[in-house]
Amino acid sequence: MIAKRLRFETRHATEFVDITDRLRDEVRRAGMRIGRIHLQSLHTTLGLAVNENEPLLLRDFKSLLERLAPANAGYEHDDFARRFDIALDEPVNGHAHCRQLLLTGFATLLVEEGELVLGQWQSVFAVELDGPRHRQLAIQLDGDFVDEAPQRRSDGSESLIELELARQLLVDPEPVAKPMRRLVEAGGKRMRPKLLLLTAGIGPRSEPVRAAALAAAVELLHNATLIHDDYVDESTHRRGRPTVAAAEGPERAVAVGDYYFAKATRLIAEIGHGGVTSTIAEALEAICAAQIDDVALRGAFPGDHDSYLRVVRGKTAALFAAACASGALLSEASPEIVEALRRYGELVGVAFQMADDMVDFSPSSGKPVGLDIRQRVLSLPLIYAAEDRIVGPEVRRLLAGSLGDAEVGRVAELVTSSDALNRVRVEAQALVDAAVHELEKVELDGLRPTLIGLAHSAVDRLS
Amino acid sequence: MSVQVVGRDLERLEGLWEGGLSDAYSSYLEAVAGFEPAAQPRLALAAALVEVGIRLQGLGGRAAAPPTLLVGDLCLARSARLLADAAPRAVQVAFARAVEEMASAAASGRSAPNIRELLMGAFEAR
Repeated sequence: MIAKRLRFETRHATEFVDITDRLRDEVRRAGMRIGRIHLQSLHTTLGLAVNENEPLLLRDFKSLLERLAPANAGYEHDDFARRFDIALDEPVNGHAHCRQLLLTGFATLLVEEGELVLGQWQSVFAVELDGPRHRQLAIQLDGDFVDEAPQRRSDGSESLIELELARQLLVDPEPVAKPMRRLVEAGGKRMRPKLLLLTAGIGPRSEPVRAAALAAAVELLHNATLIHDDYVDESTHRRGRPTVAAAEGPERAVAVGDYYFAKATRLIAEIGHGGVTSTIAEALEAICAAQIDDVALRGAFPGDHDSYLRVVRGKTAALFAAACASGALLSEASPEIVEALRRYGELVGVAFQMADDMVDFSPSSGKPVGLDIRQRVLSLPLIYAAEDRIVGPEVRRLLAGSLGDAEVGRVAELVTSSDALNRVRVEAQALVDAAVHELEKVELDGLRPTLIGLAHSAVDRLS
Repeated sequence: MSVQVVGRDLERLEGLWEGGLSDAYSSYLEAVAGFEPAAQPRLALAAALVEVGIRLQGLGGRAAAPPTLLVGDLCLARSARLLADAAPRAVQVAFARAVEEMASAAASGRSAPNIRELLMGAFEAR
């Protein structure tokens, strides 16, 4: 099952947006052989329809909707004096809601032999009834995909990672192992090792145990950098547990980070693949350099888009890219595949960081809202909010001063009320699409659907 | 010759050269004499960066302020990259073990071994 969002912009008040080709693309990219694609409008003034895409007929449909539910027909919904809690920009759109009632908000289409099952004249439309707006449809692809074996293989290998991590932590001295165990056992998405394991199954030489050892080393390396980051950012908690610096002091944090930095580089060297060792070493250098830039940029908080991308490419995306390339290198995949996966990893890594930035503004994330603001951490929603014509001046003024609870709360409110989060969402989704496009350039031995799924999961938190 | 190669590998860390990195580098040149001539400066620099890096971080002592810690991290990362490019696998492993030993001692509150001796010994692992 693959779940995602289809996003688009509408340009007119009433508009029939033909989404057939986009749905065909989704089916093809996912490698679906047979099954169903479910669509659901996420709006009360956006309908769905399956009909013929003939311009005059579309004008007929539009006229029909206007006759059945004319605008300005005195809808009670538009009598704002009788309604409570209405937004300042609440539109007069009773007619649009009524028109949506005449359509449908959901649809299921069949897929056979890798193609949408549609009659000769059938097209699928998202019907805008109150545009122009940003719109999104939830879609789920449910069925048999070209090759699900890699997914099953990866499920088994993921257990191997956990076993390998546990084994490595078992042999380490307690003063360093205990804090690292606390961090590792607290969870984490394991995106980097998952990507590494998957890509290690692409080339002709597949060695799951060796790949799991490398994946565990990369996860340890990532956690080592987090331990130092938490000290630098003065974070008290990570993954719901106290950070090493907060619980055991900065001296222990420095030592534990250094120990696992060294241990991970040793485990990687012991794998004995020069290309892999160099790839990960370069990523590590990029992470450290970007971390220095990140801290330096806090003087010019919230920074700009270019600086943000430069830092994120080093701080987050470098290890994603290295994990993807390393897995492929280990499996002796061709240079074209290694490079395509490296680019895929970098794009997914940047999108992942953008999604992570957005979590800071989500009350349902389980993390305290506004932590990035408080810590003056580089964050794309903040950059966009600071650029915003309406809320920008106030955001910049607040960020220039000291940030107490009231100021942090107000900045979070301004970010949420602006278009900043939507801009980040659209940008992250575009990066995921570009990452998926990279996968289409090379033959991936049936791994494409799983890698597509992982790319989407990197930004799942956006919805 | 050596300083030319080192200059390229010192990007963003140039300021450390006069602050002790140069002296540390010189101390390792003799220990790397048995390696390929082209690799020698990079190996000596890798060792010097570990020595200076952990000193900057305050490993085994009082933790450095965050910006200094990050420079120390970059020293260790640069060293790892130099080793990946220029050192035999056994030397890479021995270097990592040396840092593990230092970090483990620091975390346990034990007195730390002498890093220079550990790294000199690491070069003999090839």
